[in-house]
Amino acid sequence: MGFRERHAIRDLGVGVGFRRPHVVQVLRDRPPMDWFEVISENYFAEGGIQRRNLEELRAAYRVVPHGVSLSIGGAEPLDADYLSRLRALVRSLDAPWCSDHLCWTGFGSFDVHDLLPLPFTQATLDHVVERVKRVQGELGVPFALENASSYMEYRESTMPEEAFLAELSERADCGLLLDVNNVYVSAHNHGFDARAYIDAIPADRVVQMHVAGHADKGAYLLDTHGDHVTAEVWDLYRRALRRCGPTSTLVEWDESIPAWEVLSAEAAQARAVRDEVLATPREEQPWASAT
Amino acid sequence: MGERDLVHLQRFVSDAVRGVTLIGSDPALAAQAETLISPGRCGMAPHERLEVYREQFWLRHLASIDEDFPTLTWVLGGRDAFRELATGYLRACPPRTWDLQRLGADLPSYVASDVRWSDDFLARDAARLDWAFMEAFDAPDSPAFDPRVLASTPEDAWPAARIDLHASLRLLSLGHPVHELRDAVREGTAVERPGAAPTHLVIHRDAACFLRAVAVESLAFELLETLRGGVPLGEACEAVARSSQRDPMEIGERLGGWFQQWTAGGFIREVRIAP
Repeated sequence: MGFRERHAIRDLGVGVGFRRPHVVQVLRDRPPMDWFEVISENYFAEGGIQRRNLEELRAAYRVVPHGVSLSIGGAEPLDADYLSRLRALVRSLDAPWCSDHLCWTGFGSFDVHDLLPLPFTQATLDHVVERVKRVQGELGVPFALENASSYMEYRESTMPEEAFLAELSERADCGLLLDVNNVYVSAHNHGFDARAYIDAIPADRVVQMHVAGHADKGAYLLDTHGDHVTAEVWDLYRRALRRCGPTSTLVEWDESIPAWEVLSAEAAQARAVRDEVLATPREEQPWASAT
Repeated sequence: MGERDLVHLQRFVSDAVRGVTLIGSDPALAAQAETLISPGRCGMAPHERLEVYREQFWLRHLASIDEDFPTLTWVLGGRDAFRELATGYLRACPPRTWDLQRLGADLPSYVASDVRWSDDFLARDAARLDWAFMEAFDAPDSPAFDPRVLASTPEDAWPAARIDLHASLRLLSLGHPVHELRDAVREGTAVERPGAAPTHLVIHRDAACFLRAVAVESLAFELLETLRGGVPLGEACEAVARSSQRDPMEIGERLGGWFQQWTAGGFIREVRIAP
């Protein structure tokens, strides 16, 4: 039995992030949206406006927490206080799963609030596997790791990121959040084949996907979440869907956040792509034979 | 690469991305980047790839802290001046928690201690006010206080009663009415630098989750501070009378009006009557 089936991971459809410019409109009008993703750390406080908004959101929609500061690849011990707050959030939302990034975010007493890349080595793999097991055990819900966009690689790396993620998810028995835009950005920045990356990800472990826009900085692409999803990323998304089947998808837009109607239209675009791919006869879908 | 190598790598990258100057401008740093990071396609050198993260570190943190200090930004003369201050602050007090909301926690003491701003008392007050709003924003919730408790409490029980204040409540004794300035700045109305005037403020989050700054008279402010320390009401009133050289009867007479304001404003969480 595969990961998704074992954990009864459902396809929630297409969602968007719950961001400040839309809070009033969403809570007042409750527009149609399959689900929302929230940045976990924004809701760790024991009270206040954000928590109240989250409770209202949860009353109307399915909500999934997505973190940016767990630092699963950090060289130092996991933060027990952070984990305890995350567990409380997951429980309060009755979240079907919880996710963060394959990265590290700080060292010593410093937090740089960025998704810094890891060296892809056997030793790093051993290190991260143990930490993912602990996190998943503490949270009590499936935990998924997202491939982060990156702008540098280390000389010591001995395996490609997708192989690292495949082995990690297998050994730690965790899920994956496949960020299709991040694959595209990193592939451009490092010169690997994005399609081969998608094909190497263990499809049954993909519990969620992200699509987003990025910026061309000339020498590199920057993962800004600040624009429409590009045609190339939509194409990769189609490929990922063909491999993984119906998978909860989130449209990320965190910079230059547009009006709700624009974001909602982008989600509708994702839904249209999904419908188009998933309408293909089942016998022609690779994922059909695995279920 | 073993665990020690991971420590070495993460220490190097963490230090490098927090630097204020271009990584390429430091030959030793660039050389170390060369040993750890692969060159990129399109000719990006290792230090240039690391530079992407350094640049993002500053953009992200300055953008984050920008939003948290609107009054201070105005007092300093606008965003550029604030960013100069914030850059110095982030160098002196780099982020040490995952919580970006806490990024400005030490900014009021930084403004008060740095020679470039410590003489600007309006800026010091503005920094304290803006930060008090940040703290009240996500302080723990408190259950709504039932005002009927006030009427049902026997008169002789009041001196020993302890008054618990709402968890979001912050008490600020300032030299300028910066709360009025903050309102004007946020509304975008034209304002002038306010003159000095002793100002006692209660910053808190009300029952509807709105953040408020309420000016209170100095005696009431002093009493709130004493009560927050867990002192019973009777003792607290006596202490305030002593320190202000007022007749305790005068404090007692004004207490009813203060309690009305505190109850209506949501300052009180609970009145604990001694058994």
